[in-house]
Amino acid sequence: MTSRILSTTILAVVMIFLIGPFFIIVAASLSAGETLAFPPQGFSFKWVLKVFEIESFRSSFVMSMMLAIFGTLAALVIGTPVSYALARYKLPLGEAIRTIVSAPIIVPGIVVGLALLRYLVIPFGFNLTLALFLAHTALVLPYAVRVVSASMANLRSDIEEAAVLLGCSRLGAFIRVVLPNIRGGILAAFILGFVTSFNQVPVSLFLSGPGIRTLPIDMLAYLETTYDPSVAALSALLAFMSIGIVFLAERFLGFSRYV
Amino acid sequence: MFQNRAESLALVLPATLFAAIIFIAPVLILLSEGIRPAGGWSLAPYVSFFTTPLNLTVFIRTLKLGVLVTVAAAIIGYAAALCIVNLSAKGRGRMIGLIVLPLMISPVARTYAWIVILGRTGIVNQALEALELTDGPLRILFSETAIFIGLLQLFLPLMIISLVSALENMPRDAIAAARVLGANWLQVFWKVILPLTKEGLVIGGTLVFTGSLTAYITPAILGGSKVLMLETLLYQRVTIANDFASASVIAMILIIMSFSANLLLKRLATARAKR
Amino acid sequence: MRKILLAASTALLLCSASAEAQERKLVISVYGFAQDAFKTILYDPFEAKCGCKVVVETGNSVERLAKLEANKSAPVIDMAVVATPDALAASRANLIEPIDVSRLSNYDKLYDIAKDPIGGHLSVGYTFYATSIVYRSDKVTINSWNDLFSKELAGRVAFPNVTTNQGPPTLYMIGKAMGQNTPDLKAPIEKVAEHKDDFVTFYVRSSQLTQLMQQEEIWAAPIGRFAWEGFAKMNMPLKWATPKEGQTGGMNVMVLVKGAKNKDLAYQFMDFWLSTEIQTKLAERLIDSPANKEVKLDPKVAENLTYGEETAKSLDLQPADAILDNRESWISQWNAKVGQ
Repeated sequence: MTSRILSTTILAVVMIFLIGPFFIIVAASLSAGETLAFPPQGFSFKWVLKVFEIESFRSSFVMSMMLAIFGTLAALVIGTPVSYALARYKLPLGEAIRTIVSAPIIVPGIVVGLALLRYLVIPFGFNLTLALFLAHTALVLPYAVRVVSASMANLRSDIEEAAVLLGCSRLGAFIRVVLPNIRGGILAAFILGFVTSFNQVPVSLFLSGPGIRTLPIDMLAYLETTYDPSVAALSALLAFMSIGIVFLAERFLGFSRYV
Repeated sequence: MFQNRAESLALVLPATLFAAIIFIAPVLILLSEGIRPAGGWSLAPYVSFFTTPLNLTVFIRTLKLGVLVTVAAAIIGYAAALCIVNLSAKGRGRMIGLIVLPLMISPVARTYAWIVILGRTGIVNQALEALELTDGPLRILFSETAIFIGLLQLFLPLMIISLVSALENMPRDAIAAARVLGANWLQVFWKVILPLTKEGLVIGGTLVFTGSLTAYITPAILGGSKVLMLETLLYQRVTIANDFASASVIAMILIIMSFSANLLLKRLATARAKR
Repeated sequence: MRKILLAASTALLLCSASAEAQERKLVISVYGFAQDAFKTILYDPFEAKCGCKVVVETGNSVERLAKLEANKSAPVIDMAVVATPDALAASRANLIEPIDVSRLSNYDKLYDIAKDPIGGHLSVGYTFYATSIVYRSDKVTINSWNDLFSKELAGRVAFPNVTTNQGPPTLYMIGKAMGQNTPDLKAPIEKVAEHKDDFVTFYVRSSQLTQLMQQEEIWAAPIGRFAWEGFAKMNMPLKWATPKEGQTGGMNVMVLVKGAKNKDLAYQFMDFWLSTEIQTKLAERLIDSPANKEVKLDPKVAENLTYGEETAKSLDLQPADAILDNRESWISQWNAKVGQ
C-alpha cells in the first residue's frame, strides 16, 4: 500500500513538472494585465484576440504551416523509397546510405541554418523560402526514413513476392500491396515530421529575412520586444492545435504504435 | 530480398543526393572554415578558441549541464518509468500519452513559462517563502540552474519513454525472483534492473545529452548573454562579430559531441544484436 | 499520393509566384520596438499613400548590420535605421550611400544636430534619446551612476551588455562617476566585473526589462529614453534618474543601402517619416523623440521624451567614431573580465 502511495506521488510530481508550465501559460494568456504574470491579473480574452490581430503572426503561421506540410511531404516522397530499398534490397552501401540520410539528426540545427545561409543562399542567390523548404525537408528526412522503416519491418515480404509472381508489376505490387500496409507508418511519420518542423527553431534562426520568418522565430522576436501575454496566448493556441492533431491521429489510427 | 541493383539505386538515389548536396556539403564547407581560416591550412582558429577563457568557460558549462541534465533525467526517469510499468495497461497508455504531450508543444512556449515560474515573484519563490525555506526570494532566472531546469523539462519525456519500453521488455519475474532470493531494493536495481535496461538508458541518455547540447531556445531565454552556452555563443559570434572561424570551431565541437554520443548508441545496439 | 504531391507543389509554386508578383515593395530594416504603433502611425499610412507594400525586418542594430554585410552583393534591404556608430561602420564597410537631402522636403525642419550626424550626408537623424537609469522610487533613490553598484541594489540591476547601443554609453558615464573622462573604458569594465554577480543579467534588448521590472526581478536598469514608454504604462512607482554626472544618450539615423532596388520609395518613406505630422504622432505615443523642430508637444508629453534641441545638446554623448573604433577592444575586455 505504501508503495502505491509512493508511486502515485512520484508520478504526480513528475507530471506537474512536465505539464504544469503548460497550464501556467494557458492561465497567463487569459490575464487582463499588461505583462505576463502568474497568478494572472484578472480575466480576459483580450490577449487571445490580439494574437489574431498581429499581422506578422498570421504570415509566419502560414509560412510555418507550408514548410511543415510540404517539407514533410517532400521528405516522405524521397524517404519512403529509401526505407523500402533498405528493407527489400541487398544494397551495396546500405549502412552508408542510412547514415547519409539520417545525418541531419546528428548535426545541430543552428549549424545547418548557418551553413545553408553561407553556402547556398548567399553565393547562389537561393531565396530564403526555398532554403527554408530544403532545410526543413532535410530535417524531417531522418524521421521519415526511420518511422517508415519501422513499419516496413513489420511487413512480410512474401505477400509482395507472391503479388509479383502472380503477374503484378513491381510498382504495382508496391502500390497495391506495400503502400496500404505501411499507410499508418507513413501517417505517423507525417505527424512526427510536421510537429518537428513546425516547432523547429535553430535551423530557421539564420534563415530569416524581411517578411520571411517561421512562426517560432517570430514568437522569439516578438518576445524580445514585447513582454505582453499575447505570446502566451499564441503558445496555448498552438499547443491545443498540436494536441488536437495527435489526439485525432491516436483516436483513428493508433498513432502511438509507430512512434 | 531483391537483387536488382539499378532498381535499388534508383530508389535510394534521390534522398541520398538530396542529403549530400543540400545538407552534408554546406556543413562540411562550414567545418572546413575552421581549418582554412584565410585560404591556407591552419589550426589557428582552434588554438585561439581554446585559449580564450570565455570560450573555455562556455565549453565546460555546456558539457557540465549536458551531463547533469542527463544524470538527473536518468534518476527521475527510472523512478517514473518503474511506477508507470506497474500500472494497468490502460493507465500506462494514458500516462505515456501525457508524457508525450509536452513534446508536441512548441519549445518556445515551454521555455517561456519558466520565466514566470522561476522569477523572483514566481510561484517557486512564493512556495519557498510560504514554507519558510528561504529568507528572501532566490535569484534563479539567468543562471545555470534556470537552464538546467528548462532543459530537464524539455528532454525528460524522451528518457522516460526509452526507459518504459526497456522495462517492458525486461523478463516479468526478474525483480520478483531477486526479491525472493533476499536482495534489497538497491541490490535489485544495481544487479537486475540496470543491466537489463542498459540499452534503454543509453538510448534515452543519448537523446537527452545531444538534445541539451544543441538546444538553443532554453539557454537563449533562461540564460541570456550572462550565461552563454555553445549554441548561444555561436549565434553571438556570427551576429555580432561576423566571426565565422569561431562559429566553425563551435560547430565542429557540437557535431563531434553529438556524433560520438550517437556512435556509442549504435555500438551498444549492435553489440546486443550479435549476442 | 501523386495527386496530392502534384497539388502540393503547384500550391507552393503559386505561393512563391504571388509573393514575387507584388507590384512595388519597400524593404526596411528597423528596431523591433513598438512595431504595432509604427504600423498604424507610419507603415499603413505610407502604404496607402504610395500604393506599395512595406516589408519590415526587425532586430537590434548590430545583428541587422551583420545581415546587411552578408547580403552585400545582392541587397534585400532598401533603407535601414541604426544607431550612429553602426551607421559609421556601415559606411566604412561600403554598405550605404550618401542621401541626396534635396529629395527630402522635410530636411530643413530638422534640428541641426540631426542633419548630418556622421558626415558626408550618409545618414539623417530621425530621433535622439537620453540614456539614464529607470528605477523603483519606492525602493531606492539614484543620484549617481555609481548607485548602480550600491548595496541596496545588489542583485536587482539589469546592465546593458557591452555589445548593445546602451552598453558603452553606460560604461562611459560610470567612468565619469569614477572621475575619468576618456574613451578608455577599462576601469568601468573592471568595476562591472568586480560586481558582476550583483547584476541579474546583461541585457541585449531593453524591451525585456519591463517584464523583469514587473516581476521585481530588477529595481533599476540603465535604458534609452525610447524604452521609457513601456515603463510609463506600468502600475509601478518608477522614476527616471537625473544623475549628478549628467545623462548620456544617442541618436538613431536613417541610412540608404548601397544598390537599393527601390530608392525612390526609400526617399519618399524617409521624407514621410521626417514629416511634422508623423514625428508628432510618434512623439505623442512616447515612442521616438522628434528630430523635427516644428513638432510642438504638450508639456506632459514632452516631459516623457527627450524633447527639444537644447535638451539634446545637453546630453553627454560619446562620439560615434570613438565608440566604433574602440568597440572591438571593449568587447574583448568585457568578455575576458565580465563574460565568464
